[in-house]
Amino acid sequence: MWTPSISRRAAMLGTAGLLAVPGLPHAQGAAPDVYGPMDPQARRGGTLTVAIANEPPNLDPFHQAGDARTAVTVLMYQGLMYEHPSGEARPLLAERMQISPDGLTYTFTLRRNVTFHTGIAMSSADVKYSYDYIRDPANGSPGAADFGAIAEITTPDDHTVVIRLSRPNASLPMTLTNRFGCVVPRDTFAADGARARLSQQSVGTGPFRLAEFRPQSHIRMARFAQYWEEGQPYLDGILFSVQPNAASLLQALRNRRADIGMLPRPQDAEQIRDVPGLNVGTAPSLRQNSLDLDGNFAQLRDVRVRQAIALAIDKEAVMQASIGGHGTVLGTTVAAMQDSWGAPLAELSTQRPDLERARALLAEAGLQGGFALDLVSIIGFEWMDPAAVTIAQQLQRIGIRLNIQRAELGVWLNAFRTRNMRFTFNDWGTQPDPHILYYRHFRSPPQGADFRNWANADADRLLDQGMETADPAARKRIYVELQKLMSATVPTIMLFSPNLVTVTQSRVRNYVQHPTGWWFGLARSWIAA
Amino acid sequence: MLGALAGRLGAAAMTAVLSTAAVFLLIRAVPGDVVGEMLGQSAGDRAAEAALRAFFGLDRPLWQQYLGWAGDVLRGDLGVSWRQGLPVAGIVGKAFLVTLQIGLVTLAVALFVGVPLGILAGVRHGRWPDLLVEVVSLVALSAPVFWTGMVLLIAAGTWFGWSPPLIYAGPGENLADNIESIALPVMALGLLQAAAYAQFARQQTMQVMRQDFIRAAISRGLPARVVYGRHLLRNVAIPLVTFAGVILVQILGGVVVVETLFAIPGLGRTLLAAIQARDYPVLQGALLVAVLVALLVNLLVDLLYAAIDPRVRGA
Repeated sequence: MWTPSISRRAAMLGTAGLLAVPGLPHAQGAAPDVYGPMDPQARRGGTLTVAIANEPPNLDPFHQAGDARTAVTVLMYQGLMYEHPSGEARPLLAERMQISPDGLTYTFTLRRNVTFHTGIAMSSADVKYSYDYIRDPANGSPGAADFGAIAEITTPDDHTVVIRLSRPNASLPMTLTNRFGCVVPRDTFAADGARARLSQQSVGTGPFRLAEFRPQSHIRMARFAQYWEEGQPYLDGILFSVQPNAASLLQALRNRRADIGMLPRPQDAEQIRDVPGLNVGTAPSLRQNSLDLDGNFAQLRDVRVRQAIALAIDKEAVMQASIGGHGTVLGTTVAAMQDSWGAPLAELSTQRPDLERARALLAEAGLQGGFALDLVSIIGFEWMDPAAVTIAQQLQRIGIRLNIQRAELGVWLNAFRTRNMRFTFNDWGTQPDPHILYYRHFRSPPQGADFRNWANADADRLLDQGMETADPAARKRIYVELQKLMSATVPTIMLFSPNLVTVTQSRVRNYVQHPTGWWFGLARSWIAA
Repeated sequence: MLGALAGRLGAAAMTAVLSTAAVFLLIRAVPGDVVGEMLGQSAGDRAAEAALRAFFGLDRPLWQQYLGWAGDVLRGDLGVSWRQGLPVAGIVGKAFLVTLQIGLVTLAVALFVGVPLGILAGVRHGRWPDLLVEVVSLVALSAPVFWTGMVLLIAAGTWFGWSPPLIYAGPGENLADNIESIALPVMALGLLQAAAYAQFARQQTMQVMRQDFIRAAISRGLPARVVYGRHLLRNVAIPLVTFAGVILVQILGGVVVVETLFAIPGLGRTLLAAIQARDYPVLQGALLVAVLVALLVNLLVDLLYAAIDPRVRGA
């Protein structure tokens, strides 16, 4: 069983930490341990069958957001950097990175032996094309906003890329990782139907290439023979089989039809823990199951009401009811970032139940008689229903009567996107960086989206400072202050991070679970005889 | 006869046109679109959203979108999936064949299990075979398909250490895997439809058994095979054929549930995925096929009914 954690030390060594000595350009060398450790004992060959619960709508890494897509495309597409579980962005397609003293110029030296799945060698022109494409809003990429600080990309030679920023962005290296930072051959999107073709043929540089994608059924990947890491990957292929529900996924593992699977309900680990031949691994995740409070909705406009709700909720009880305790109760950041970026829980207000104070706040707001409030739960997210019932009971104690409504995901996403969230559950994840976690969600428009209508000028100032500050200690202070502000004014209540529970057959070796929940670890896995 | 057939075809065409227009408008009335689904919680960049909306043609007036789609359909082009980028005709065609196989096998199970049991119960009305069939069919009718399927799935895994293949295989790809893939879905759907068929056959048998010509045949001392084989079955067959059409349409409707439960890439699951992804071209194409199939089945039942019953043929 493997349990990763992001240590405070590792976080301090994070990408922003490279400028710890002001005025000195700093270089970061190649990191050999992307994806997990290599295994000299590894046996080559074979195909691993992976049972997955969420099918990606398509395999286009430039236009399709969402974890279901990213979870599998990380094996076919690579960015200049890699989101290491330590919280550090490490070189991947880049060999090294240099940052100018003013933090406005990033110079990347590219690896020289990288070949695309199309058979052509990667050069700096491909990197420039990829990042120019994604940052142009006219191309409709959900990642465009993340690249908004880039002013210009130049290519002094075939193996050097220089990115100039309009303002410092300490998270740029993390932005250039594998969610939206993939590199594809230049002019990939020039031809008609190019976007659609990415669901039939991969054009990345990753260890596996796409062999077949049959929607509602499976994704087949084959080892990329010209992959740049010598001797990698160990597997000949991977078969992702889409399972329609948690019960089917469990049965597939129990009956050895699948070699590996991540349980959509972490509490199902109890059902499978004693099955001979199966290994159950648990890891903290970068996901959060939360309650969002729309600052433009009904009684939630009053900060005292939001505070009262936070003070009436017992997160531990909600987690027990929702996922049987298989997770970590949160403060104001996700479990896998608490050590590195989280504010100390003791310093946060509204995190522990205090019914007297909650009632007093409602009385101050003129709502001592209680009131009714709609809570939106999303259909298909199993944890939300028991959580809704538990929270309804908890809020009843301070006179708030919850009316639980269930929304289809598309309808919910529309409300989210149009900043009409009301009072709702949410389920989302991040890469291990505080700017990526908080900025888009909480910064006021136009820089961010402020989906919850928080409209907090202090938060905007802190979020901008956090983005521009390179010194890790100063950066952490900023994000701790931001989290205190979040805890005090409650635009969201982060309930818990569910554990990532990965079940493997005993013949599966060297699989390391990444805290994003994405399938990076298969790049180093092998099958025992 | 030909005039009646032409009338039915005309009505079917009108139904298809109205259905597609209704589907086109209804799906767009539901909040959310493919752009929201693609952006997820990475939304927020208005320019990027507008660019995606223009890419899919969602910035055009609704009437332009419908006329464009309808014109393409009349030219035999169902469009391209927004989700997968593949031609809709191919996606829907493949999915329909999967569903059709399950539907026909389930219908066969329902016929060969439900009809004999129903006739037996009707003939032995009030005795133990009748009570047994009545109780079992009522239980089967009361159990939701989803529940039956889930019980079968868990029971097969827990008691026999067996689960369906992870990947569906068509009969032409691997017949053994195909049988394994459709076994549980057919059992789950077949149990329900066999029960429905048994109930219907029982009622029809009881009605015919009360007719004077059956009583006369029995009182004349005709052998049982003549009474039941010639007089009873011939009269029960007509409503049973009509009912086959109803059952097939019901199966095709209920197949969404079992396809989702057992990960079968049929028309139902394709429809569901298209709804979730707001993949309008696939949704419209799949529903058009579903409507046409329902109309065709009803038409075939009418023709078959006429072929079996001389009174209808002469009308």
